[in-house]
Amino acid sequence: MQNGTKSTIWVLPGSLEPEPLIADIGEVFATAPREAVRAATRTWFDTFDWRLYQRGLFLFHDKSEWHLFRRNSDGIAASLPQKGPHSPVFSRDFPASRIRSILEPVLEMRSLLPLVTHESSTTCLRILNNDRKTVARVFLEEHKIPEHNAVLRTVKLQEVRGYDKNFKELGRFFANYGMRDKTDFLYPFITGAEICGRKPLDYSSKFTLKLKPDYTARQAMVLIYRHLLEVMRQNEAGILDDLDSEFLHDCRVAIRRTRSGLGQVRNVLPPDITNKARKDFAWLGSITGPTRDLDVYLLYEQNYRSRLPAALQKGLETFFADISSRREAERRKLSRHLQSKKYRQIIESWHEYLHSEDSGESTENSGRPVIELAREIIFRKYKKVIKDGKTITPSSPDKNLHQLRIQCKKLRYILEFFSSLFPQQDMKRVVKQLRRLQNNLGDFNDLSVQQDMLRNYRLSLRPGSRKNQDLAAALGGLLTNLYHQQRRVREEYAPRFREFSASENAKLYKELCG
Amino acid sequence: MSVIAVYHIKGGVGKTATAVNLSYLSAIGGEKTLLCDMDPQGSTTYYFRIRPVNKFNSKKLLKGGKHIDRSIRGTDFPGLDLLPADFSYRNLDIALDDMKKSRQRISRVLKPLRREYDNIFLDCPPNITLLSENIFYAADYILVPLIPTTLSHLALQQLYRFLDEIGETRSKVLVFFSMVEKRKKMHWEMMKRLIKKKGFLPALIPYLADVEKMGLYRQPVNVTVPHSMASVAYRTLWSEVSRRTKDK
Repeated sequence: MQNGTKSTIWVLPGSLEPEPLIADIGEVFATAPREAVRAATRTWFDTFDWRLYQRGLFLFHDKSEWHLFRRNSDGIAASLPQKGPHSPVFSRDFPASRIRSILEPVLEMRSLLPLVTHESSTTCLRILNNDRKTVARVFLEEHKIPEHNAVLRTVKLQEVRGYDKNFKELGRFFANYGMRDKTDFLYPFITGAEICGRKPLDYSSKFTLKLKPDYTARQAMVLIYRHLLEVMRQNEAGILDDLDSEFLHDCRVAIRRTRSGLGQVRNVLPPDITNKARKDFAWLGSITGPTRDLDVYLLYEQNYRSRLPAALQKGLETFFADISSRREAERRKLSRHLQSKKYRQIIESWHEYLHSEDSGESTENSGRPVIELAREIIFRKYKKVIKDGKTITPSSPDKNLHQLRIQCKKLRYILEFFSSLFPQQDMKRVVKQLRRLQNNLGDFNDLSVQQDMLRNYRLSLRPGSRKNQDLAAALGGLLTNLYHQQRRVREEYAPRFREFSASENAKLYKELCG
Repeated sequence: MSVIAVYHIKGGVGKTATAVNLSYLSAIGGEKTLLCDMDPQGSTTYYFRIRPVNKFNSKKLLKGGKHIDRSIRGTDFPGLDLLPADFSYRNLDIALDDMKKSRQRISRVLKPLRREYDNIFLDCPPNITLLSENIFYAADYILVPLIPTTLSHLALQQLYRFLDEIGETRSKVLVFFSMVEKRKKMHWEMMKRLIKKKGFLPALIPYLADVEKMGLYRQPVNVTVPHSMASVAYRTLWSEVSRRTKDK
């Protein structure tokens, strides 16, 4: 029974000016004197990787209030009064509210960035009938983007309930007038963001490059490395501005993927290029590592709190305050590295090579079809994981599991590089199986690394002060808790590996790579 | 969500002016509002410059559903819709009489609309009839404009007795003084006597030319003369009515 009135929004073509349009409407239809409806300044937000957009959510801040929309609905899903936001904004910066509860699981650790700010003014023109009764409304909207000196204009025609004929008549008038391009209330956001240099889904942390099977291995690898380099460069500014922890994380993943490519997909680039790149990317890995390691602990904050009883919480505060300040010191170092000549040179020379016409002398694998090489490497890596995995028993040392984890990661990167060459359904299954095993090994490794770090941290404490006693107690509590969890994770290994090495999965690999 | 019937046994007490002005204030306050013109004279419909709807009549009204849906008209004011009256409403009583559950008909017809609107106003015709009984049954509140005279008061007593008779509670009734003339001593004395009684609202609408002129401008007073005494009086009345109806 819900009876929403209809409306249509057009983009006002650049060739049309609002004033003559208003005059022409007045020629054909009786209108009430125009009314200025409202002026508003809106700033639209999303994360760097468009997490809101992906879920059909849209968030803007308007003077003193946040508003959250859902796609396909003019209605506001949630609003929240809050003074002007400081960028970056995390979900934890919102007070407990409906907005926060919607945003929290979507944003996770990512911050909201302002994508476009526009100043909008609206003029309303009421269309009247012979009784001088309003039978339709026309809204001329103007969105200014001062930063880029741009103006976006739309015309919205809104039905008055029960006056469908007039609505249609005006619709025809506008169509004849040259308005073709229908849009919706998100127009100033989407188009405005584009003017400011961002396009929906223009960044994703997933590896999404599409290859063709008849590419040569060199063509394919050059494209892959280009894509990864692009990811690194896209994240650079966010790392320097310290907007959230994921910029550095994504950059490091791109570095690792590049290193994995250089190491696994051998004899494709000329040897001198490969050797230099391996050295350079090892350095990039080493300068970005320390900050990331500390970021990981900061991300554990809530998790650690939930592991400890209230009585031991106090020590954690000291711990995290210390980690924060150490992280800040490391971040400054990283920042200096990223602005160093050495860094610039590495990035530029790699970029130059990947975009040069002549990719250098041919090598053993450079001219082979990429699909052939992909099959070979995937199968080799798969066999390696199976072989290593089988030797692991409940009594094997931890380091064997860590090594297997690295082998799995290598396989995973290779699968992702070449995924677009294979049937997507099969690839999904293969990756899903691998991911289950990887999660187990990853958890095990994370728990080991954490325990090592906490143990060393505890040893570095000077005894005596009350503060350090609290801290040591908290660390002790955490160590116990993490140890027990690690035991449980380790028990999970055998069934997970059994799944991975099942004959069905083996058959799938053979089919893909045979 | 409230259904508020504006009712009086007598005509010419300011019913339509009340329904028009209060429904407007309700809508601009952000509540989606429907005003149903139940009076065959169609004054409310006229005030909003809306023409009676073709093919809509008392039979269609009682059928409800899509017949009503199709006949609702948007007014000049966002958030305020009107269900226009039809001259055939003069025979609503006869039509109701022929039906089963003839007391609950209007209530049933309004049921789906309760989901769509925050407030529904019913501008009722004078008289005590089967239609009035329907309206009293359907309404959450019966808002009675009372000119402070002896005869008007008698009419109110009649309304109370009628409600008792049909088993409706007197607590639905909210009374306010309407068309009050300052210089008439009798008005003051009457008001002094009644104001403390249960169900009487402290707000009052004076007898003002601006209210009468509504027929000329065909707009709520808060649109034509927002700073006038009449506008202030209706705003005060609406804030009291809206507080009372939201107490529940």
